[in-house]
Amino acid sequence: MRDPYTVLGVSRNASDAEIKKAYRELVRKYHPDNYHDNPLADLAEEKMKEINEAYDEIQKQRSSASSGYSSYGRGTAGASGGYSYASGNQSKYNEIRAAINSGDLGKAEAMLKEETARTAEWYFLMGSLYYKRGWFDEATGYFQTAATMEPSNQEYARAYNMVNRGGYPYRNTYSTPSTTGGDMCDVCTAMMCANMLCRCMR
Amino acid sequence: MFGYVKPELGELKMKEFGRFRAAYCGMCHELKKSYGTAARFILNYDFVFLFMLLSEGKEPPEMKMRRCPASPLRARCVSCRNDALTLASGYSVILAYRKLCDDVRDENGLKKLKAKLKRALIARAYKKAVRRYPDFDNAVRDRLAELTELEKNREPSLDRCADKFASLLASASKDRVKEQILYHLGRLVYIADAFNDLEEDLKKGSFNPIAARYGLSQAADKNTAEAVKLTLEASSGVISADAELLPDSYWTGIIKNTADIGIPKMITSVIKGEYVASPFRPLRNVTLKENGDDI
Repeated sequence: MRDPYTVLGVSRNASDAEIKKAYRELVRKYHPDNYHDNPLADLAEEKMKEINEAYDEIQKQRSSASSGYSSYGRGTAGASGGYSYASGNQSKYNEIRAAINSGDLGKAEAMLKEETARTAEWYFLMGSLYYKRGWFDEATGYFQTAATMEPSNQEYARAYNMVNRGGYPYRNTYSTPSTTGGDMCDVCTAMMCANMLCRCMR
Repeated sequence: MFGYVKPELGELKMKEFGRFRAAYCGMCHELKKSYGTAARFILNYDFVFLFMLLSEGKEPPEMKMRRCPASPLRARCVSCRNDALTLASGYSVILAYRKLCDDVRDENGLKKLKAKLKRALIARAYKKAVRRYPDFDNAVRDRLAELTELEKNREPSLDRCADKFASLLASASKDRVKEQILYHLGRLVYIADAFNDLEEDLKKGSFNPIAARYGLSQAADKNTAEAVKLTLEASSGVISADAELLPDSYWTGIIKNTADIGIPKMITSVIKGEYVASPFRPLRNVTLKENGDDI
């Protein structure tokens, strides 16, 4: 096993608070939600497992006396990316779902193409297939149709809302860890302040 | 269609900026050494990104000080030849040449002539690159031929068209993570470029995938622009998430900067219609503007 401190990217004599912070940051980064329907979700999951193990290991090493720590969602991480198996007796649709979840997109597509009935679920599954492939524009259209055909279905509505928000729920675009604002005004203000400070020191 | 993928230079750390310049200059020198002076002028930020992405290992690559026509007096720190540099420069030559072939076919008048001239200038470089990487050239040629076919039939599916360019780029790596990053880079660049060219294509009456997808006959309205932005951001989100899965390398900081800040910013300005794809521009002219905004 790799050195747990290296995994979390902290030094050996980091304080408990620092370790917790680094751990939280990493969990945020590799959270299953960020890799929802991403074919690389398994890699993120592995990473998450490694981080959890490293955190546990450090806590164990340190907490000979103290107690009461908890690492992020054991078990829940594994449940990422899977669609809930909806009710109904359509075993064929369930097979397609399974194929999409396992990443066998070719098989799923062939089965969907075979199907003649254009039910809401068919549109939803087509959308899921394209989403996983990275064809977000196509996926949006199919999710929309599914959601319009069956407005009461939570799953379809959720999928459609998700693509309309631009995909992943907690994307880390724009915000680099060091800067929280990132706004142009902030940059300007910061520059002006820095400029003034420079002048004072002269 | 190149010049879209670049880091946000103002947000790089000082050391990363130095590294980025070493990568940029390294690519330029490598192109000259392996493929002749003319090949130098194909260089753009996208190819530098390709080099950084294909590099492996945390150890700093070997560097040396070199002068060049763009910096004749002051020698610059330049990345020496290594596997990734050789690979990226070869792939770049192939991509640039194939792109020029497309231009020769699609353009008219002066632009066609220009493309022909440029293509003639790098023809020898291309031949050399093909000898080294025949498989990549085959993949590029096949995908582009398929794309041409789709465009000829005025394919209404944006994703189907973008998929060809995306797969073409993805064939540059066998690594799962890098492959997917390249796929979405390709998708993004294709769609962004189509959006950029929209008005010009409509004027000329040539095929434009966004016009075909949304049935446009004039400039994109607000809703269309918003929809295009959304789909671009979805790819950008995948690139950001995937970049976290890359093993640490010497270039990680710059790659993440590009994925998290550079690309989203490019998307915003493309949608606003302000983006100017920047091909060859020697990095030494970089200065920070007053508002700390752009280069």
